[in-house]
Amino acid sequence: MMPYFKFDYFSVDFSLVIAFVIGIAFGFVLERGGFGNARILAAQFYFSNMRVLKVMFTAIITAAIGLFYFTWIGWLDLSLVYTTDTFLIPQIIGGVFLGIGFIVGGYCPGTSFVSASTGRIDGMVYILGIFFGIFVFGEMFPLFENFFNSTPMGRVTLHEYFGLSHGLTLFLVVLMALGAFAAAEWGEKIMAKKNGRGAE
Amino acid sequence: MKELIMKLSTPWKLAILAGLLGFFALIIGNPANKNVIDVNAKEMALATVKNQDRIDVMTLADWLIKENADYTLVDLRMEKEYGEYNIPTSVNIPIESLLNSDLMRNQKILLYGNDDVVAAQAWFILKSANYKAVYLLNGGMNAWKNEILFPKLDASATAEQTAAFEKAKQVSLHFGGTPQIVSGGTATTVAASPTATQALPKLTAPAGKVGGGAKKKKEGC
Repeated sequence: MMPYFKFDYFSVDFSLVIAFVIGIAFGFVLERGGFGNARILAAQFYFSNMRVLKVMFTAIITAAIGLFYFTWIGWLDLSLVYTTDTFLIPQIIGGVFLGIGFIVGGYCPGTSFVSASTGRIDGMVYILGIFFGIFVFGEMFPLFENFFNSTPMGRVTLHEYFGLSHGLTLFLVVLMALGAFAAAEWGEKIMAKKNGRGAE
Repeated sequence: MKELIMKLSTPWKLAILAGLLGFFALIIGNPANKNVIDVNAKEMALATVKNQDRIDVMTLADWLIKENADYTLVDLRMEKEYGEYNIPTSVNIPIESLLNSDLMRNQKILLYGNDDVVAAQAWFILKSANYKAVYLLNGGMNAWKNEILFPKLDASATAEQTAAFEKAKQVSLHFGGTPQIVSGGTATTVAASPTATQALPKLTAPAGKVGGGAKKKKEGC
C-alpha cells in the first residue's frame, strides 16, 4: 500500500537514499528536457517557446492520472499523501515574485541547480541569489509574519473546494491541459512567423 | 484503423491516451478509499460496557467438551507460539492478516492472544470492518493456562472451593492439563499423569493452518 514511507516500508534514513536517487533522476530529466538553459525557460514568458508550459502540464496530468487510478485500484491511500496547506493571498503574492525572478534570472529555483550542475555561471550566480534571498527573508520574517499566515485555508483540493467528483475534476484538468497544448503549438507557430524564425 | 494509429505522432497518441484516461475517471467518479471505514463508536462503546463480548475460559472449555462448534476460535499469537501449544480447534491468524483472512462477517468469532491486549485490538479492527459477532476470550491464553490447564487448589481450602476444584480437575484432565494442590508454596500434582512438571499438553493433531480444511465460500462473491 502506498505511500510506502507513511506505511513504514523503510526508515527515515533510507528515505534519504531514495530521495537522492529520485532527485538525481529528476535533475537529469530536467536537463535533458532543456530546462538547464535560461533562454529556453525565459522564452516561455515571450510566448516564443512554450516548452515550460508543455512540460509542467504534462507532469501535472501524468501525476494526477496516476494518483487517481492508483487510488481506484487500491494501491494508494491518497489521504496520506502530503499536500501543502493553502494560504491564498500570500501564495498569490509569492507566485508573482517567483514569476518576476523567473523572467529576470531565467530560472526557477530548481532549474538553477540543474543549470549550475552543467557548469553555467548564470545558474551558479542565481543559486547565490537564492541563498541571499532566503537569508534576507529569514531576517525580515517578523515584519510580515502576520501576512505570511493570513487567509489560511488548510488542505484544499480542487474537487473538495468546488464540490465536484474527483473524476470530473481530473477530466476537466486533462481537457485544460490538452487545450493548453494545442494553444501552445498554435501560438509558437504565430510567434515564429512574427519573429521570422522557427521555435527553438 | 491500424494505419490511422501508426500515422499519429507520439504527442497525439499521448494526448489521446490522457484524454481517454480522463474520460474514464469522469465515469469512475470518486475512487473510494477502501481502508477508511465508518465506525459506530456509540454502539461499540455500549458493547464494551455491557461485557457482552467476553467469553470466560470455563465457558469455552464447556463448549469444547460439548463439541459446540457454531464459532471460529482464532489464535492471534505468533506462528511459533501457536505451534508449541494452542487451544483445540483454534486457527492461527496473526493480527496483521486478520482482514485478509477467510473469516466471514456473519460468523461468530472468538479471539484470543496471550493476554487481552492483542485480542482487544483485533476485536476493534474486526468490529470496525463490520464483522457482526466478535468475542474475546477473557484473559486469553494466560487465563486458559491458569484456570484450565493448571488449576491450583490451596491446601487450606474450604469445602466449597474443593468442590469447585473437583470440577476444574476433570476439565483440566480432559484437555491434558495438570491440576495441582498448593500447600506452603510447593505444588503437588494430583493428576493421574506421571509427569509431575507443568508440561504443556502435546498437540495431538499437527498445528492447524490458517483457514485449514475445506475453504468456506467467501461472503458476497
